[in-house]
Amino acid sequence: MINIKKNIDEIKNNQVLIEFKGVSKNYANGTHALNDVNIRINKGEFVFVVGASGAGKSTFIKLIMHEEKCNTGEVIVNGYRMSKIKRREVPYFRRTMGIVFQDFRLIPNMTVFGNVAFSLRVVGASSKDIRKRVAAALSMVGLGDKARCYPNELSGGEQQRVGLARALVNNPQIIIADEPTGNVDPEMSYEIVDLLTEINRRGTTVVMVTHEHQLVRDFGRRVIMLEKGRIVADNEEGAVQ
Amino acid sequence: MKLRSVRYLTVEGFKNIWLHRLMTLASVCVLVSCMLLMGVAVLLTYNIQASFVSVKDNNLALVFLDDKVNDNEAVEVEKKISALSNVKKTEYVSREQGAESFRESIGTMFDDLFENDSTFLPAKIKVTWKDLSKTKTEKAIEQIKNIKGVYYVNYSKGLTKVLNGIQNVINTASIWIIGLLLFTSLVIIANTIRITMAARKLEISIMKAVGATNNFIRFPFIVEGITFGLISAIISTGVLYLIYNSTIDQVRQFGFLSLIPYSSVVWYLFGGFCIIGVVAGTIGSLISISKYLRKEGSEQNAFI
Ligand SMILES: Nc1ncnc2c1ncn2[C@@H]1O[C@H](COP(=O)(O)OP(=O)(O)OP(=O)(O)O)[C@@H](O)[C@H]1O
Ligand SMILES: [Mg+2]
Repeated sequence: MINIKKNIDEIKNNQVLIEFKGVSKNYANGTHALNDVNIRINKGEFVFVVGASGAGKSTFIKLIMHEEKCNTGEVIVNGYRMSKIKRREVPYFRRTMGIVFQDFRLIPNMTVFGNVAFSLRVVGASSKDIRKRVAAALSMVGLGDKARCYPNELSGGEQQRVGLARALVNNPQIIIADEPTGNVDPEMSYEIVDLLTEINRRGTTVVMVTHEHQLVRDFGRRVIMLEKGRIVADNEEGAVQ
Repeated sequence: MKLRSVRYLTVEGFKNIWLHRLMTLASVCVLVSCMLLMGVAVLLTYNIQASFVSVKDNNLALVFLDDKVNDNEAVEVEKKISALSNVKKTEYVSREQGAESFRESIGTMFDDLFENDSTFLPAKIKVTWKDLSKTKTEKAIEQIKNIKGVYYVNYSKGLTKVLNGIQNVINTASIWIIGLLLFTSLVIIANTIRITMAARKLEISIMKAVGATNNFIRFPFIVEGITFGLISAIISTGVLYLIYNSTIDQVRQFGFLSLIPYSSVVWYLFGGFCIIGVVAGTIGSLISISKYLRKEGSEQNAFI
């Protein structure tokens, strides 16, 4: 009975959002960053990507957001084939995802509100819409009272929460985060991942790169492990060695 | 692009102009310098052309008539000449009038030579052209030659040719000067704006990451470029007015040349400056961001 329910859930959720088919990536200087990577990430999943420095985690992320192109194989994200996508389609593709950076990437001379509103301006939202959605996003990350602050008046953890608010204010299908906790105090890291979990619970797929194994273990999610450009483990339930 | 976005981006463009006001100042100075040089070239060309036109005004054709033609017949010939499309004015000079003005100009010392004959010069008709271009005058001269009673047509082919030649050289030279200055200002503006790119790279990379189209990113830069151009056009027209008027005053003291008034060219100059400024400003700013637009990535901090 339980199995049947699980299967139904799987069929319902079995909508592949990110797919790598035999993907290899060599940089111009000859570095083999990824070798024959095959992976599927379904809609609604929460995935950690782990591995040693230089293992190819950031490359993996860059291929998903079409910052780099693979040399062989095919990357399909949200129905877009990365080998076929046209330059003028890239902005519209990017609007289906929210990107969180390790170094926050907040604009220093803009308030918290302005930084989050930025991604709504790009899509031409109305001022009224912007006010409403930015307020909602900021209260979701617990910064409702900091809207008028400037980035340099915030702690690292708070700045990253602004980054998160900016990524999710557009209601993206996917949130992609390359070491979002890399520049944040350990306690703050948990808060960030808690937030990502909450965002995921509301239906957004999350792909997060991290170095912090303890954190991965504690949150118990799917873990993709990279080593020298290959996937060496792909475990459910946070089973890191 | 939505109207709302256009409004937002225009405001952003003006904010950037103020935010990077030192660069604005630099760009405007470059543009103004180039425009002033261009303006001087244009005013020089205009003035030279204007003085050529007055020289050419004196450049009449003289139609000499057959000795057999009497005054009445000469009037007929003059009518025929006046009827030609390129003829502005005709003036009949009879033999006696001709001899009279000849005497006036050289005095009476040759009177004996001509034995008081007042008909030693042929009668002639002075013709002034409407259009001085070579093709039109030559066509009219052919037509005049075919009129019965015309003996010979004298026109200063050589002078017209030389004047036209000089004029062509001046026109070509000023076009080259203007082109060169336009190119120079474009390059300098592109470089000036590029200096501020370090500060804006982050912004562009974030815009790209959240899905801004290239046109969206370019828009504020275009607003900036157009504003640079228009500000520079206004300043240049004003400064040139001051320079030119003081020049006119100086020249007037010498009294041998008359310069065209500034008001007769001010709108052409201003219009030209606006076009040049907007083109240079826009293309200059587009050149400076093109490199950043080509990069697909968020890692714009990694390169310059
Ligand atoms: N733009 C690039 N040009 C050339 N080589 C690159 C480039 N980016 C990454 N590499 C190389 O590709 C390999 C994988 O890099 P990647 O950034 O994906 O590793 P990573 O797993 O993210 O490492 P880290 O944990 O240190 O961030 C490395 O050897 C790196 O030196
Ligand atoms: Mg990395």
